[in-house]
Amino acid sequence: MEVCCAACSLLTSKQWRTLSHLTSKKLLRNVPFPTSLDKLLDSGLYTGEVTELSGGPGSGKSQVCFGVAVHVSHQLKQRVIYIDTTGGLTASRLLEMLQSETSDRDEQMEALQRIHVFRLFDAYSLRDRLSTLRSGGLLQASGGGSVKAVIVDSVSAVISPLLGGKQNEGMSLMIQAALALKTMAKDFGVAVLVTNHVTRGGRGEVQPGLGASWSHIPRSRILLERTDRAPSGCSSTLRSATLIKSSRQPCLIKEELDLQWWSRSERRSSGKRKRDEADS
Amino acid sequence: MLVSGTLFMHSNDSHPRLLARLEARRCLKDIEPRLFAEDEGPRHGEVVELCGAEGTGKTELLYHLLCRCVLPEAAGGLEVDALFVDTDYSLDMLRLVSILDSRLSSALRSSLSRLLVVHCSSSSQLLLTLHYLETTLNSRPSLALLLIDSISAFYWLDRCEGGASISRQEEKLSKCAELLGRLLRDYKFTIFATCHTIRRSCSGLAASRSSTLEADRPYLCRPWQRLVTHRVLCSRQEAENHTAGGSREEKRQVFRVHCSSSSSRTKASRISSFCVTDAGVQFI
Repeated sequence: MEVCCAACSLLTSKQWRTLSHLTSKKLLRNVPFPTSLDKLLDSGLYTGEVTELSGGPGSGKSQVCFGVAVHVSHQLKQRVIYIDTTGGLTASRLLEMLQSETSDRDEQMEALQRIHVFRLFDAYSLRDRLSTLRSGGLLQASGGGSVKAVIVDSVSAVISPLLGGKQNEGMSLMIQAALALKTMAKDFGVAVLVTNHVTRGGRGEVQPGLGASWSHIPRSRILLERTDRAPSGCSSTLRSATLIKSSRQPCLIKEELDLQWWSRSERRSSGKRKRDEADS
Repeated sequence: MLVSGTLFMHSNDSHPRLLARLEARRCLKDIEPRLFAEDEGPRHGEVVELCGAEGTGKTELLYHLLCRCVLPEAAGGLEVDALFVDTDYSLDMLRLVSILDSRLSSALRSSLSRLLVVHCSSSSQLLLTLHYLETTLNSRPSLALLLIDSISAFYWLDRCEGGASISRQEEKLSKCAELLGRLLRDYKFTIFATCHTIRRSCSGLAASRSSTLEADRPYLCRPWQRLVTHRVLCSRQEAENHTAGGSREEKRQVFRVHCSSSSSRTKASRISSFCVTDAGVQFI
């Protein structure tokens, strides 16, 4: 139990110093991914908070997670903990994305080494792994470096089979995992990104899954959807992102994002300019 | 000369503790007159529960009340101490300081020195914190407000630990509620607590009234429900267009609060609306 502390001492704690002196630099306080998602999230992923990305199959959630991991490890040179519960992450895919960022082999290898992957496929392992990470295992897992992002893709794949019925254990596991994520975010100053599936609500509208009890956990929630308008004859890589919950932005705002940029399948000059803007 | 009158003393009482219990703490009846019905603000020893779905402004309301309490009287505050029990890890110091900053130009540090923050990560820790609370109340006679965000954070964890028997499931929260009841009677401060809803309400055209009521039904243990004297239901309205001075029309999210007070005096209720700006909650 943390002892009562006056709020003044919170001001002088490490977190506040980091926030105040970096607002001008805007580098380590949040994890900027220099796209239209920045506008939705009020300039990037914030450390100390849980951000949720929800969407149907093929809406680009894993792609965005890969993009964030590559950006943090290559551009910001910080470590990433990636918890993969769907088996969708492959090192070759990450290498492909890194190759489009830099052609220097050593840099690519270094960036790959900064991404630490854990594969688990059931809720109990998820809870145990998060508890270990929270109680000091974060430094050990990353080999002594500073972790800036923890990505869980996806949290609903392992939790939702246990929900429903009259059993309380599923809900309890969900809340235990959620508490571990939140305390990790706050205590270690990392940005947590989780992904979630979608269901249909009472009026037929699309809403994030895992129910009302989970909805209080993330501080910001983004819903990814395929856009209706698509040029005829080709599959669209455009997605629309809607901000459905935020403690910073005023309202439900939509932005469009192009998955092609996220997958870095082509090195385009417009993409490069956006990255440079963010880093200055 | 005969001195008449009785003083009820506990066996392990000492002077400072006795004085701390007898001295009246600041009454928070006027903490936010736009929220409560006429003259129905929370008095000594009353508990206000703020419940609502996610994103309905409960934590923002807590920040607003907190600022009102810790600010100096010159800036429109009450200058009392407050204790914030954070079980949700949702306290954002940056947001709190920016709200205080916008209402106040100087003396930020002295306002913040009136705020105490505790983090709890399980209901056993919450119980221990509340036991420790008695010492804090004794040493700080100006502590008049206890904010808990949120009281329902460990609901599912307790239900699973309790197994099949409901009394074991509710045991820890009942103990917390009974302890709070005793502290309220002795020390006469005020509590504001948030409570998340656990059921989604289908608010469509074809939805019946019963489904919305079911989502708002209290689900925490009986000792806690008996303690609550004012219940504030928070909800989100459709964003309305608002012309903000200039030519640009911007949409603002409006939040609705329905406050029903069921203290021993009367039953009263009031509905008000607010929106959230950079300077915190603004009632409209």
